[in-house]
Amino acid sequence: MQIPRSGKQIAVLLLGLALCLTGCGIAASPSQPVGKAATLNLSLKTVPTVRSITISPGKATFGNCTGGKDVNNTHSAGSRLGFPNGTCWVGEISPIGVYPIKITNTGIASFVYVNGSSATPSDDGNGWSLCNLGTKPVATCNGYKHRAPGIDQYIVENFGPGGGTRSGLTGTPQCDRAFGARGKCLASLGTSQHEGFELIGPFAASDFRSTNWTMSITWTPVPTEGD
Amino acid sequence: MGWPEPGGPELLTHLRRRRLWLLMPAALFGLFILPAAVAEASIGIGIQAGPVRLSGHAHPGGSYQLPAVYVVNTGSQDESVVLKIQRISPGHGLTIPPSWIHVSSSPVRLGHNQSARLPLQLNVPPNAKPGLYFSDVIAHGSGSVNAGHANLGVAAATGLDFTVAAGAAPHPGLAIPSWLWPGLGGLVVVAAGLLWIFSSGVRIRIERKPLSGSVSEGQEHADTA
Repeated sequence: MQIPRSGKQIAVLLLGLALCLTGCGIAASPSQPVGKAATLNLSLKTVPTVRSITISPGKATFGNCTGGKDVNNTHSAGSRLGFPNGTCWVGEISPIGVYPIKITNTGIASFVYVNGSSATPSDDGNGWSLCNLGTKPVATCNGYKHRAPGIDQYIVENFGPGGGTRSGLTGTPQCDRAFGARGKCLASLGTSQHEGFELIGPFAASDFRSTNWTMSITWTPVPTEGD
Repeated sequence: MGWPEPGGPELLTHLRRRRLWLLMPAALFGLFILPAAVAEASIGIGIQAGPVRLSGHAHPGGSYQLPAVYVVNTGSQDESVVLKIQRISPGHGLTIPPSWIHVSSSPVRLGHNQSARLPLQLNVPPNAKPGLYFSDVIAHGSGSVNAGHANLGVAAATGLDFTVAAGAAPHPGLAIPSWLWPGLGGLVVVAAGLLWIFSSGVRIRIERKPLSGSVSEGQEHADTA
């Protein structure tokens, strides 16, 4: 193989460059500072960034039912709701105040909202819808002077030591007035509240066969205004 | 009183007593620990505090993958979690119609302290009004505790917001694929390298050297002539 003159020059140049680089590397390495790497391990905990809630009821059941009509043999008895407009309690407001449901804000500061649902009978008949009292009811009660539930209507009011939702729960989550200072429903991390509730039944039920009714009450922490 | 006679009634009574003493810890556990555990049973649900946000603007007719939502079971019992879209918290902007957000209908089963990230898809209809939209993502737990015939449940909410900008979303067929720009960049680099090589004058010339004793092409031609 014959290498032309220009090729020889390039080869010489490349060889020189390679030698220079190798030499520089050898010469430079002793001048580098020799040290041992050291690592400092640090750990850090942060505040929770989850919005959460927990409920832990004690023994909670409807009781102390009153109201209804003796004449019709539909007066409330024990834990059985009577007609018309019987009333049952989970816990009690007076005389001593019993609040069996414990609600705890286990996450960041949030507004605690609460909502109810329609009551459904065990035989899939007509349910009872929630209605409200007060000047601006979400659903008007059709009973006596709009101050009591009408046919297939009922009211659920929750209460705590500091007050409650006197106009009654709605199907849409709303500020739980029993929760937080001055009924503002704002709860910080770890804040808990004990609550009970009162149920006022319908004037009459169109599903007269069913004697078992179920409903649900849900607590929801929602973002604060600053979020 | 001496040691009970083997096989006698006294020995049997003695052994029975010893068995009873051995059962005492279990009995104490049953009396004190179990009721406490039952009393501490709770249901709970958590959701990420930060709102779910679309990074860019949405356009009418477009479809977008929203960041997955973090949910956690903070109760002591297993429960299934489902997401729902409903505006309940205070906030500014137009309310997001729930039909715009596609959430998986199948619930996710979570044990105590278990968490998951649930995907959300935003589908903006072609006739959507431009503006800022806001709503809540609510994680509902299936767990409930009974108070009489009332089921007590929990849920947790976080914000969901995005902006719909004017103008239709680019058609998927005309959209530029994500690999196009890196691919074009690579081609430009290769082309520049080749151009430099050709313009720099570097040549590598290879010649075959004839072996000694062999006949070259010219000599062979002369002999034949």
